[in-house]
Amino acid sequence: MNVSIKRMSAIFQKDLKDFSRNLAVSVVIFLPLFIAAIYSRMGVDSLASHYMIFNMTFALTATYVQCCLIAEEKEKNTLRGLMLSPASTADILGGKSLLSFVLTMLIIFFSAVLAEYQPANIAIVALALVLSSFFYIAVGTLLGLWAKSVMESSVIVLPVLGIFSFGSFAVPLAEQYPILKVLVYFPNHQLFEIATKVELGTAIGSMWSHFAIILLWTLVAVALTVIVYRKQTKD
Amino acid sequence: MVLQFKDAEKQYSDNVIFPSFNLLVAAGDITALHTNVNIRQQLMDLLLGTSTLSNGEITFEEKSLSAKTAGIGFFFLESGYYERLSVIETLRFHHNLHNSSQSVDDVLQSVQLLSKRSVKAGKLNHSERKRLQLACLLLQNPDFYVLEEPDQNLDHESKRILFSVLHGLREQNKGILVLTGNMESAVTLGTDVFRLDDKGLHRVETADEEPEASEEPAIHTEEEAPLQPESLQPVRFEKIPTKVNEKIVLFDPPEIDYIESSEGQSFLHIKGEAFPSYFTLTELEDRLLPFGFFRCHRSYIVNLQKVREVITWTKNSYSLVLDDAAKSKIPLSKTKMVSLKEMLGLK
Repeated sequence: MNVSIKRMSAIFQKDLKDFSRNLAVSVVIFLPLFIAAIYSRMGVDSLASHYMIFNMTFALTATYVQCCLIAEEKEKNTLRGLMLSPASTADILGGKSLLSFVLTMLIIFFSAVLAEYQPANIAIVALALVLSSFFYIAVGTLLGLWAKSVMESSVIVLPVLGIFSFGSFAVPLAEQYPILKVLVYFPNHQLFEIATKVELGTAIGSMWSHFAIILLWTLVAVALTVIVYRKQTKD
Repeated sequence: MVLQFKDAEKQYSDNVIFPSFNLLVAAGDITALHTNVNIRQQLMDLLLGTSTLSNGEITFEEKSLSAKTAGIGFFFLESGYYERLSVIETLRFHHNLHNSSQSVDDVLQSVQLLSKRSVKAGKLNHSERKRLQLACLLLQNPDFYVLEEPDQNLDHESKRILFSVLHGLREQNKGILVLTGNMESAVTLGTDVFRLDDKGLHRVETADEEPEASEEPAIHTEEEAPLQPESLQPVRFEKIPTKVNEKIVLFDPPEIDYIESSEGQSFLHIKGEAFPSYFTLTELEDRLLPFGFFRCHRSYIVNLQKVREVITWTKNSYSLVLDDAAKSKIPLSKTKMVSLKEMLGLK
């Protein structure tokens, strides 16, 4: 599979122009910033609240925006044109993910600044955030390929928003309802564990399991996305 | 750049969609295939590789067909566009996506969208959007073009642009296959015209001169016998009989808009309806000549009284526009254009 930077950047530039003129979707990315600003002004600055904002950013910018971008290509019948072009699967999926990735990273950065979050070890936290963003973008692509229209895509993204950004609240209930223990293995909780350990100054060696779990989620999501995409190419 | 159908055959749950046929589309040809919607969609799916033939094969440059690698460009009837991107942005995007060697400005010039370059695609009208689609295809610059109903619902200007672009491509030795359900556009666009239906593939004659000579004697010998008793009739009776179910319906020649021949049967078109006639086109031509009818094409006779306009698409292709409710367009072949001009007293 050959990757062409020129094609990927063509798709990225096209998406950027298209996205900036599509207010219905682009306005969503300001929501996490708004909440981050309010929280910091209210003096809420626990690690849990920071990560709730980050997880919300993931769900809204990575998953929702990506889902809408893909669903729109599908609904407007332009995805067929891309699929018939010489661009490879990696070019198309990579190019289409680039915009949501850049946006997610920007929003995370600015909401961290607004919420006055200063991690003890920026490198490890950044690595965890980047890895998580891959997972959320892959989920967005998958849902976008599944959805039949932009309208539908904004509905099916809601469970993702619910589970991954507010799921952490249910973790304390796991004592009472053993089934909720599953939530501990969700990428959002794993990310939070990493952040907690970083603040406690734990050695990096004890965090590998968390990274591995997030990586596993990401790989599964990417693999599913590629399979669904290939299937779409055939019909 | 040769696209070839070898004994291609498609059946779908006991229904024959099209029986086995052979067709070769070479570079430098514009082959028009007149089909119904079902066959057209089937052929598109086959060329895209999303469906397979029941029998036979489709080859491109002697190799089995796979649309993505083959260098075939598709002009879809229903194609998507990025409504929030302007014309020039759309073209630049396609230019980069296809690593195109064509210049964006040249292409913009050839589809005549220069004045609309910064208008968003969503704000263009249908014809302009089709021209934008054509421009994207030109940037892609494939060796072989497959066009699906290219001139459907296009305004005159866009149609003319489409024609000249296609003739330009032909001169660059590109292969072109046009799939259409409209005989008029098949005949005006194509250099080779075929009809594909559930009975098979038939060539639609477009050349005016040569085949006529071979057919003429056969027709005349049949005609000789009935002609003699007719001349004995005391009253000259000038109505054209047609068959409607089991009845014979008679029409006055001035009522007829035009006559079209299809599958060896001639049809009289009157107020948007077609009536099968008992006679061949050649016989009808002889009978109707005194009423101002004119054989404008091998498969068409037109009532000159009803002609409102003569459209020149390119130097070699013309259409007549009639004055009826549907503004029907009839192909006019190049040689007949000369004699029409003479009849009109133009030189």
